Amino acid sequence: MSIWNYVVTAHKPTNVTHSCVGNFTSPHDLNLILAKCTRIEIHLLTPQGLQAMLDVPIYGRIATLELFRPYGEAQDYLFIATERYKFCVLQWDPETSELVTRAMGDVSDRIGRPTDNGQIGIIDPDCRLIGLHLYDGLFKVIPFDNKGQLKEAFNIRLEELQVLDIKFLYGCSKPTIVVLYQDNKDARHVKTYEVALKDKDFVEGPWSQNNLDNGADLLIPVPPPLCGVLIIGEETIVYCSANAFKAIPIRPSITKAYGRVDPDGSRYLLGDHTGLLSLLVITHEKEKVTGLKIEPLGETSIASTISYLDNAFVYIGSSYGDSQLIKLNLQPDAKGSYVEVLERYVNLGPIVDFCVVDLERQGQGQVVTCSGAYKDGSLRIVRNGIGINEQASVELQGIKGMWSLRSSTDDPFDTFLVVSFISETRILAMNLEDELEETEIEGFCSQVQTLFCHDAIHNQLVQVTSNSVRLVSSTTRELRNEWHAPSGFSVNVATANATQVLLATGGGHLVYLEIGDGILQEVKHAQLEHEISCLDINPIGENRNQSKLAAVGMWTDISVRIFSLPDLNLITKEQLGGEIIPRSVLLCAFEGISYLLCALGDGHLLNFILNTSTGELSDRKKVSLGTQPITLRTFSSKNTTHVFAASDRPTVIYSSNKKLLYSNVNLKEVSHMCPFNSAAFPDSLAIAKEGELTIGTIDDIQKLHIRSIPLGEQARRICHQEQSRTFAICSLKYNTSAEESEMHFVRLLDDQTFDFISTYPLDTYEYGCFIISCSFSDDSNVYYCVGTAYVLPEENEPTKGRILVFTVEDGKLQLIAEKETKGAVYCLNAFNGKLLAAINQKIQLYKWVLRDDGTHELQSECGHHGHILALYVQTRGDFIVVGDLMKSISLLIYKHEEGAIEERARDYNANWMSAVEILDDDIYLGSENNFNLFTVRKNSEGATDEERGRLEVVGEYHLGEFVNRFRHGSLVMRLPDSDVGQIPTVIFGTINGVIGVIASLPNEQYVFLEKLQSNLRKVIKGVGGLNHEQWRSFNNEKKTVDARNFLDGDLIESFLDLNRTKMNDISKAMDVSVEELCKRVEELTRLH
Amino acid sequence: MQTWKQIRDREAGKLPSRAFANRIKSNRASDLQLSNHKDLVSSHKGAINSLQIDLTEGRYLLSAASDASVAVYDVQRPSEYEGGGVICKHRSIFVVDKQHEAGHKYAVSSAIWYPIDTGLFVTGSYDHLINVWDTNTTQVVVNFKMPGKVYRTAMSTIATSHMLIAAGTEDVQVRLCDISSGAFAHTLSGHRDGVMNVEWSTSSEWVLITGGCDGAVRFWDIRRAGCFQVLDQSRTQLGRRSPILKRSLITKDSSTKLRVAQKKHNGIGNKQQPIGRVPSKGPMKQRLHPGMLSTQDRATAHYGAVTGLKVTEGGLYLLSAGSDSRLRLWDVESSCDTLVNFETVRLQTSKPIQLATTQDSTLVFVPCMRTVKAFDMWSGNTYTTLRGHYECVNACWFNQQDQELYTGGNDRQILVWSPARLNADQMDEGPTEDQDNWSS
Repeated sequence: MSIWNYVVTAHKPTNVTHSCVGNFTSPHDLNLILAKCTRIEIHLLTPQGLQAMLDVPIYGRIATLELFRPYGEAQDYLFIATERYKFCVLQWDPETSELVTRAMGDVSDRIGRPTDNGQIGIIDPDCRLIGLHLYDGLFKVIPFDNKGQLKEAFNIRLEELQVLDIKFLYGCSKPTIVVLYQDNKDARHVKTYEVALKDKDFVEGPWSQNNLDNGADLLIPVPPPLCGVLIIGEETIVYCSANAFKAIPIRPSITKAYGRVDPDGSRYLLGDHTGLLSLLVITHEKEKVTGLKIEPLGETSIASTISYLDNAFVYIGSSYGDSQLIKLNLQPDAKGSYVEVLERYVNLGPIVDFCVVDLERQGQGQVVTCSGAYKDGSLRIVRNGIGINEQASVELQGIKGMWSLRSSTDDPFDTFLVVSFISETRILAMNLEDELEETEIEGFCSQVQTLFCHDAIHNQLVQVTSNSVRLVSSTTRELRNEWHAPSGFSVNVATANATQVLLATGGGHLVYLEIGDGILQEVKHAQLEHEISCLDINPIGENRNQSKLAAVGMWTDISVRIFSLPDLNLITKEQLGGEIIPRSVLLCAFEGISYLLCALGDGHLLNFILNTSTGELSDRKKVSLGTQPITLRTFSSKNTTHVFAASDRPTVIYSSNKKLLYSNVNLKEVSHMCPFNSAAFPDSLAIAKEGELTIGTIDDIQKLHIRSIPLGEQARRICHQEQSRTFAICSLKYNTSAEESEMHFVRLLDDQTFDFISTYPLDTYEYGCFIISCSFSDDSNVYYCVGTAYVLPEENEPTKGRILVFTVEDGKLQLIAEKETKGAVYCLNAFNGKLLAAINQKIQLYKWVLRDDGTHELQSECGHHGHILALYVQTRGDFIVVGDLMKSISLLIYKHEEGAIEERARDYNANWMSAVEILDDDIYLGSENNFNLFTVRKNSEGATDEERGRLEVVGEYHLGEFVNRFRHGSLVMRLPDSDVGQIPTVIFGTINGVIGVIASLPNEQYVFLEKLQSNLRKVIKGVGGLNHEQWRSFNNEKKTVDARNFLDGDLIESFLDLNRTKMNDISKAMDVSVEELCKRVEELTRLH
Repeated sequence: MQTWKQIRDREAGKLPSRAFANRIKSNRASDLQLSNHKDLVSSHKGAINSLQIDLTEGRYLLSAASDASVAVYDVQRPSEYEGGGVICKHRSIFVVDKQHEAGHKYAVSSAIWYPIDTGLFVTGSYDHLINVWDTNTTQVVVNFKMPGKVYRTAMSTIATSHMLIAAGTEDVQVRLCDISSGAFAHTLSGHRDGVMNVEWSTSSEWVLITGGCDGAVRFWDIRRAGCFQVLDQSRTQLGRRSPILKRSLITKDSSTKLRVAQKKHNGIGNKQQPIGRVPSKGPMKQRLHPGMLSTQDRATAHYGAVTGLKVTEGGLYLLSAGSDSRLRLWDVESSCDTLVNFETVRLQTSKPIQLATTQDSTLVFVPCMRTVKAFDMWSGNTYTTLRGHYECVNACWFNQQDQELYTGGNDRQILVWSPARLNADQMDEGPTEDQDNWSS
């Protein structure tokens, strides 16, 4: 690998950190707005459910997200503040469907210490000011003027140092905040302050309340007419206002989120840490609060946000499990739950560990993650590309074409599958036993190759061969009419739909036929100057049976032409350029936009936007799908039309957000495809692969496929063992009845079914910390090694742990050896046929020794001190790279002769590590506590000891995500012939559920892309005016420096989403053609 | 709290990473003991007067001593190991002493790093000189002749537009020495006696705080003439909107005293200070200055000399130590005493002392004669007493990066206080020696 790295997101963050509901996109739209750490999604509430309107990246980690409505406005504005102290106010532009920045600014201060308990951003209900608590001891006020514009911000001293929550109170003549805080004796209180805008100071507020529940953590302001505030504790809920105080005890729980149900604020939904959803009701007589009531409703994912939408529909955003759309029913179900889950939205976060495996052994990596926490823990199998689930297959050599046909026009299912070979045509059909059996259609000519087949109206079928077009009744299977090619000419290419046939014979003759009841009529004939290579008349207009346009691809002048039907007038001629002829053209429509797709003989695909009324072509784009000729076919899946491009790298073309997307199909090579929707194999595809005909169903059309294996407990570490075809995980189960009680297990799972097949429970207080699969020198067996720690309540750091060595015998975990350690085993590595363990501040090497009785044991060989806590260790050869809790990366070397481990070099920066990986012999990658990535380089050629002893920082980048794990590997099939196939990659997983890829680029490519990135920065403006360069700058408490030797792939790949004008601007600035730019960026998208 | 659990909570996103780091730092800082694995071998033959770790890498400790010597230690990379690799010895990388051609003649009272990099350092001595040294060549680049013994020098860590050394000397005037020009930029007049302490604000590069032998703590905006704020020990936070709890913390007799003080304060007719106004950026402006009342100009922060000053990390508070054996915590913005009652016993009176705080400002380390006491910043209670020096302690420096405390005293030792480390597993190999944890 190299120091020039390209960082790109393969799976976007899915952890829902904030959500709110309001009228954002129009005064009458009800919108749900979600923040997923570094992204914002805007949804519209429709009778059909949630409809996505916008999904945009934010150049910052979102700290607060609030909707507000300035006085006199009909719709809401969105306020966002980021963790790096930027804020913006956004408004919806209905014309462009984009976000417009109304205001933005920086709210950082030199003074004060950043808060530990999270940043707070709140907006006065009467919209007089925005309040921010970003630094201990300071409350920042951004006032609104009477026109709703933001004025200059100022700070007010807040003496409460440990602030837990701040909210604005409703119904106060002056803006008033209520502060929940903890004093230095750990008691919790609330206070109120009025904000005196003129004096820029606080005035003691109307009331305060001392000595609350010790777990009080959340304030809920109650709107008029009741006003006041609810204080949510772990054992009590209190309603408090200037003249009332009501409290109720609750079952001990930690409330994580709340959502207000009624605008008058009398009912609230509360979600706790076990996923229990409760309804809190404030009972009142007119404006006088008489009491509180709480009632459990049922179980959801553990909520991080709750947004009550409308009509008992509620959105549950989750950080630890899938987010959900639920409905609250009036009557409980059989289990007594009022909650009905309508939809689940996948969340991979937090990814605490993962491994890369190739379970199907087809050269395609899959990621298996340990996702979720508490009861929502799960394993997720993440795979790139679209899978074909094989239902049936038969050996058939030399397939030249395939079409499916129905036995009558109104039959919903296909009956026949026409398979064409070089000198014959065979017809397969489903028999009564649901088997595919060869049959005959008498009217078809089966002694020659079929060029095209189609269902036609009036229960007819059309077959085109090189010398005739045959119209056959689908019921009697008899020939009804035939059109013969003029003598001396043979049909080269043909296409048809239900009412039309278009064919081309040698000499550039184009013949147009129309299908009637039992009659084929030649309507028009045209002679073109060159031979015709491909044709299409797929109906994309309103009439599903008839096309008004025909697309024709030409030899010799390498062009694609659009003709009108039925008069065969040339409307448009588009030169393709180059020397490669078009091999397949297709007219198709996605999301209401019509396209012309044109596939070339060298695996490239051109796409144009087609104006169906004028026949004009625009927005030409070129992508490379493979290296062999492509055949294009449409098919439907889940009522949406997609295009299958059969080639050496089969691809599905689909559309999302009105943009064409390409997703590879997990098959090696496909020559032909046709949809085959039979009663026995509904929604299936027939696929001709090398020497084989397969019928199978296709996955949902999306780029990444995620399969969820719910565990009901939290998996912390995972590894795969090829030999036993198993996964082993370290997991823990929370005992909900008793506080703080956990049970830890080592579990063995079958790598196909993902069933638990064996479990080894750990001791009381013993936690599983790490697991690897390894083997030792002089022993051919493969073992699972597990590192544990005894976590005793009274100890600050574990002083005892174990290394357990298991084999898998008959699908069972067998403990073979164990070794006690003097601390927690944070990490294990197979190392030179031995086992390297990181135990508290020490690195310890164990050898595998055969005892006299034939059993093995681990014996300590040597160690290395000098770390604060050695948390993450990777090895390569004799080198050991250690990521310390707080002292960055150090490089150790194992000296065989001396049997000793010595420090070779280290990075003296104070990085608090979260993961390390070795990129190559000299370059090591680290991620740290402030969401940065960095690379360091070994400096073996240094002149002095000091230089050699220092790992030089060579790359720095702000990822904005907390990385838990790096692993070498790839999510995509690596084809050795392609350029990207040579690029080494590392995959990472983060708390927010991001799966990302870091690719090491050759210098030339890096320099090129760096230039493209800096040009893109000028063209693509960040939402809210946030700056990309600032966002990607390496940032920690001590310094902020520009990113170097890392590129933001997400920005670079967004080049493909730009409109043509902007692409041209960049092309001009770069002095590289748009096509070349597209091609190079498309190549990169194949990395993930 | 348990480190292990916190690591687990961090990886699952239950504990925000910033809070994670701060908790671990606080835990470690509150668990300091004489290091059982790190030894700094002092090169000095006189009392240690000043200690500072460089601000860029947190790696090089600069110490100054009464034998006119200055030394630099690498606190990250040990020069040798003992006890099977468990004990790290750190010897000085270099020493500049009387033998050096440009070395100071008398005691070096202060040595500080140039804040931008470790290429330069600044020493101030009783021989009236301030020397600016090139670290790599150990040659003097610039020097400044002061009118008397130099007590303290300071450079702003956040300055971007000046390179000034503020110097407190025997003289009543505070001088600003400009490294870039090699000349005095200007002098600040106001103190009525020598100045033992100078400290730059951590929020504005223009604000300097000085503590004099006259008991006064003065705030200066170096762009303007005269000081703009003098701390008054009779001005307390009591009149402000104060949290319920702090009110209850105050002992009875202090509150009666305070009430008197307040009356007096009101009697002067001084309008109630606008409170709660912290300029979000840049210097503090237009504060009773230059027309500051002469009565206020005579105010003192301590009876006797101000011996130590330290601004807390966030810049919201100032700690001052006096020869009256008092330690006071001031709210910088309102310039009020927060009335935290620190349980100091006796402080050294003759020399300036160097205070240190932890990064989260929960603990303040104060040299109290032969011990160093760690006080809880908000309650004033003694958190722990670090005993190890044989004679009076003069200087403390808290290494924020490693959560280690370095202390130096008249016994010529530099002691390292580090978070307790489990060395239990050293039993695994090699014989265990009967180790003496005391630095030799």
